[in-house]
Amino acid sequence: MSIISLQGLKKTYKLGDNIVQALAGVTLDIDQGEFVAITGPSGSGKSTMMHILGCLDRPTEGKYLLNGKDVSSLGRDELADIRNKQIGFVFQGFNLLPRTTAVENVEVPLLYTRPVMPAAERRERAMKALTAMGLQDRYDHHPNQLSGGQQQRVAIARALVNEPTLILADEPTGNLDTKTSVEVMRILQELREEKGITIVLITHEPDIAAYGTRIIAVRDGKILSDEPNRPRSTLEMAPEQIMVTAN
Amino acid sequence: MLPGRHFILLAFNALLRNRMQTALAMIGVMVGVAALVTSLALGRGAQESVEDQLRAAGANLIVVTAGNYAKGKEERSDPDGNIGHTGALSPRDLVPMSPLGARLEQVALVAQPFRVFTDRMAPQGPQILYPMPYGYVTSDGAMAQPQRNPAEALLVPSHFEDDPLAIHDHPTAKDRLGDVSAGLGSAATLTADDAKAVAQLAGVQHVVAGVHENARIFVAEDKTKQWFTRYHGTEWALPELRSGWSMIHGRFLSKEDADEKAQVMVLGKVVADRLFGEGVNPVGKTTTMWNQPFKVIGVLSSRSWASSPVPGDDQFDAVYVPVSTIDGLLNLSKLNTISLSAKSVGDVSRLATEVKLLLRKRHGIGEETPDDFTVTTMAQQAIGKGIPPQLARVIAGNLQDVDRLTIEQMSASLKKTNVIMLIMLAGVATISLLVGGIGVMNLLLLSVTQRTREVGLRIALGARRSDIATQFVLEALLLCIIGGVLGILAGVLASGGLQRFFEWSAVISPMSAIVSLIVAALLGIVFSVYPARRAALLDPIEALRHE
Repeated sequence: MSIISLQGLKKTYKLGDNIVQALAGVTLDIDQGEFVAITGPSGSGKSTMMHILGCLDRPTEGKYLLNGKDVSSLGRDELADIRNKQIGFVFQGFNLLPRTTAVENVEVPLLYTRPVMPAAERRERAMKALTAMGLQDRYDHHPNQLSGGQQQRVAIARALVNEPTLILADEPTGNLDTKTSVEVMRILQELREEKGITIVLITHEPDIAAYGTRIIAVRDGKILSDEPNRPRSTLEMAPEQIMVTAN
Repeated sequence: MLPGRHFILLAFNALLRNRMQTALAMIGVMVGVAALVTSLALGRGAQESVEDQLRAAGANLIVVTAGNYAKGKEERSDPDGNIGHTGALSPRDLVPMSPLGARLEQVALVAQPFRVFTDRMAPQGPQILYPMPYGYVTSDGAMAQPQRNPAEALLVPSHFEDDPLAIHDHPTAKDRLGDVSAGLGSAATLTADDAKAVAQLAGVQHVVAGVHENARIFVAEDKTKQWFTRYHGTEWALPELRSGWSMIHGRFLSKEDADEKAQVMVLGKVVADRLFGEGVNPVGKTTTMWNQPFKVIGVLSSRSWASSPVPGDDQFDAVYVPVSTIDGLLNLSKLNTISLSAKSVGDVSRLATEVKLLLRKRHGIGEETPDDFTVTTMAQQAIGKGIPPQLARVIAGNLQDVDRLTIEQMSASLKKTNVIMLIMLAGVATISLLVGGIGVMNLLLLSVTQRTREVGLRIALGARRSDIATQFVLEALLLCIIGGVLGILAGVLASGGLQRFFEWSAVISPMSAIVSLIVAALLGIVFSVYPARRAALLDPIEALRHE
């Protein structure tokens, strides 16, 4: 069953007098348990696609069915609830709250879950998500006391805490070194393999896209290619790492 | 709703993030609320002054006093310029005979009107005249200087307590003065029958006959505790005339006390404090006056802060005893005062005139002869009560013939002045609150800008717009409630200060504190609407890109 179904999706912006077409008709189905990497240069429309997939933006035209439900016509509060429960976000800049402990960061989505979740349950679920990321010992660390990889793992824990069916990762490795990037990609692969979570990854790096089971190339608001992929193993050495080792 | 405790903590943390700005905004709110509390207190104080104190403190009160001070002062030429006295002796008579003549001059200035007492306990000895601070004047003309024990010098065998039930012959004014006008209150021209006659006049509410004199009051069980004050022989209805009074302990004199000629005493607060200690309830204790025991049945104080009891005043530095009891002990024939209240406050001037005519008739005073009593209405005194003295002066200056005004006219005029004052105060409070509110808004806008990225993140993670707005409103609310509580405290202090140092009447009610807190909360809500809306309407995509 397809978890995501885009049908003739268009998005236009008005920039002054110019009308910019960010998405020029995208039709696409993503099945449960896929690891889709969407690639493309900046300005290709992949970010706009990501925002619409994440229910942060609405298409100008076309339909977006999430879990079979047309979300392109939903109101703001309903979209907020969908983001809260069905989608987990992983951002490039981690976007952890400063001066806030790891476990409290993980709890943030639960604060907006309706009906209201008791504090004890919030803490319990956040700790469980942190443990899954191997960060149970660091629960009371502030983001500035954690390494980049650890911060991104906290962010993934936050994305997982409400047990979503879809994880949207927007350049999740953009701020990480290669070794840590591989680590993060391994986590995403494991989530897919062990929990069957659908993952949509946005990246402009072919190396990173190679970890997906399917690679979609976007250019000028259209799908350029859509190919299944034999996912690259995280056990393999990335070329950059060989270089580093050689030095 | 959202998990409340978490978001309150969140708001706290947000406030702590910009400590300086938070403190400044909080001071703004505090000043605004303090101004509001103060103006409410002053407004209420002024209102109480006009509507209550003006009437209660005796605007409907007429006091008839024996003697006619005004006329007496005019007619008696006193080359030494001494304070008028009316007794059988004058200080000047004593000076040549006295070894303490030089001092006696000073004594005369402070002495009460001379009264002649005889010492029943020592009939063979010289008569004792009134005791004075520097010694004792005896009837053979000598000034006895107290030795180590003043009692020895006095030849009084028992106790220092002055005036053992002497023969209190109040001679008639005619006898005493040979038709000379007498000083206020000291002449003996009013009688109990006069009081009864006055009570028959139309429009009279209460009549209280009274005598008063200075006396030394002792604590019965500890005679080292004493206080020289004034006693009032009076009647049960006196508090009806002085509704500015309140009993802080016990009760006032009753009709039964009068009927039984009971030796009971109501203490003014000043006396109670001096004799029994501040705040002690002396009801049930015993005092003595002229070596006679009096049971304390109540303590009297003022209902208003504006006329708080002070030593030396005539109301609370005084004791009250049934006039019938005094009569029984001293065999009075004359009264010092007849106080009466008018049923209608507008009726005071007419009633005062009628009382005057009635008494002149009863006293058989001819057309050419001045009154041998003085009728005073309290309007003039009342007008200055409880409002800023400067203001009172202006009003008094602008009101010609104040006694002829009806109380309605007077209170209308005062109210008008008060309304102007209140509008000004309300204006100051409003402007302060506005400034405080702008401070709050400024802080919140700063907070929204600083936390744009955070807001974007929260929206992305599933916060509804209302959740975001609530968070900022909560922040303002918290700030304003803390500022409001501080402002109420500051307002209480400010009102107390105005009261104390400028004698403005300020009354803080719990209601005005609650109202102020609500106003502070509303201030927070109103001035956070714009920043909260701005935060809630942030585009999460843009906000997440914000640095």
